[in-house]
Amino acid sequence: MIPDVRGYLRENRMPHILCPGCGHGIVLGALLRAVHALGIPQDRLAVVAGIGCSSRLAGYVDACTLHTTHGRALAFAAGLKLARPELVVIVLTGDGDGLSIGGNHLIHAARRNVDLTCILFNNAVYGMTGGQVAPTTQPGWVASTAPYGHPEPAFDGCALVQGAGGTFVARSMAYDPRGLQAILTEALEHRGFSYVEVLTDCPVYFGRYNRLGEGPELLWSQKARFGEVGQMLRDKRFVTPDGTAPAGRVEGLRFGILHRAERPEFTHVCWSQVRRGGDP
Amino acid sequence: MQTRNVLVVGVGGQGVLLASNVLAAACLARGYDVKKSEVKGMAQRGGAVVSFVRYGERVHSPLVERGRADLVLSLEWAEALRWAAYLRPGGVLAVDLVRILPPAAQLDHRTWQASYPAVEVERLRQAGWDVRPYEASRCAAELGDGRMANVVLLGAVSRELEFTVEEWEQALREVVPEQVVEANLRAFHAGRELPLASVSPGDVRRPAARTFRVEVTASWCKGRSCGICVRVCPEEVLAFGPDDRATAASPDRCTGCQLCQLLCPDFAVVVREEVAVG
Repeated sequence: MIPDVRGYLRENRMPHILCPGCGHGIVLGALLRAVHALGIPQDRLAVVAGIGCSSRLAGYVDACTLHTTHGRALAFAAGLKLARPELVVIVLTGDGDGLSIGGNHLIHAARRNVDLTCILFNNAVYGMTGGQVAPTTQPGWVASTAPYGHPEPAFDGCALVQGAGGTFVARSMAYDPRGLQAILTEALEHRGFSYVEVLTDCPVYFGRYNRLGEGPELLWSQKARFGEVGQMLRDKRFVTPDGTAPAGRVEGLRFGILHRAERPEFTHVCWSQVRRGGDP
Repeated sequence: MQTRNVLVVGVGGQGVLLASNVLAAACLARGYDVKKSEVKGMAQRGGAVVSFVRYGERVHSPLVERGRADLVLSLEWAEALRWAAYLRPGGVLAVDLVRILPPAAQLDHRTWQASYPAVEVERLRQAGWDVRPYEASRCAAELGDGRMANVVLLGAVSRELEFTVEEWEQALREVVPEQVVEANLRAFHAGRELPLASVSPGDVRRPAARTFRVEVTASWCKGRSCGICVRVCPEEVLAFGPDDRATAASPDRCTGCQLCQLLCPDFAVVVREEVAVG
């Protein structure tokens, strides 16, 4: 049986503020099950978040939590990890928080290989501020600031972090909570910067603007919208009469653990330097 | 020699095709002509799988007619009953006594009191077949991996077939993935030592009944506008109550898959197994 992980929640703060059908809670559930399976005690677990829907989740986890400024969660988390290396530090960030305003912090945390687990909730939209396009909005999709379809290409967060030097890069989706838990378990066990991008959904903006339905329909369509088999499974609305998917709507994101490497870890390197008293 | 007719049968996932591939490889190792045909459509769903193997000096068709099989190798009891009629009079039915409830018998998921045919070896013997029950799955589990039951049963049957141990080992090395060759060779030799299982009349051995309780914390549930749990439940246990919150309307139907708990974004649904007291 799957364990009941509500003991990791601040139950007096529940229910959480996320909209009905929002996928973020599913991701948090998978994360808490991974934490539970690894037996990480709550006072050794630190959850750091920035600003945005996904970052609100930190406030509901009964652990050491830190709700920080927009985009700077990784900078706070890196400082926390340096000062308290014994903590398991998890960063919850969104596609706007982590890839837009916080994009610099993301690439530098990856470059330094700080021992953090960064979970980036990718719902391809700015949910908290009214459904504007995000850096991960794929071309063609509709948002409140792209009523005729988004004209720009999107970021591939995983490729970005891998290029910047991240040592564990993975992508999963809320549609697959078991697979997500397995990936998060490996990410938490990895020593170094682990980046897990999770596709979730915003029924209120992304789903409504793109006429994809509500929570359940969005969940089921995740595989079709994002997977490599997406073109075949794609909702008929997005298929042209000759049976081909229109250009600009082909995403084909890769899933699973995409990159794994071993490199000196930042906290370890810094503390070794301190212990040597500055001697080389 | 006369062409020999063999059926390897079982449930999807048990390794029916692997077992028949090993047999076919042993035939080739001996220099026989061999033809093979299989029906595996619903294999991944735990459905019936059958593989026909015919070998001899010259084989023209891979299919075996009813009443013509020399040997039926069954990895599951109910599948043995399904395919026994393919045996010729006096044909050998080697069967693993493991029992897997087929989906059609699982309509009553909760109590698992589905009708499953009792193990009545004597009745099959009265029909004129040479029935050899084995505890191959148990033997494989004792060897460390229950998935090797197919090779254990193959080992048990290999004593009756004309191939040498070397030919069987060569066949196993060819067919089985490299990293599990040694384990499978051990399973094969354990099978060669496997005694007939003793079966008491009317032995039923159903899985133990399990019951589950679905708890919904109404104040955490975001109700009809979310609706994920109600839509994902394969047994339609959950429904919307008068307050539009999810509620376990048909708790008796719960099979404990916990999809609702996994996919509830609001931590409102928890499924617990009810443990019988006393």
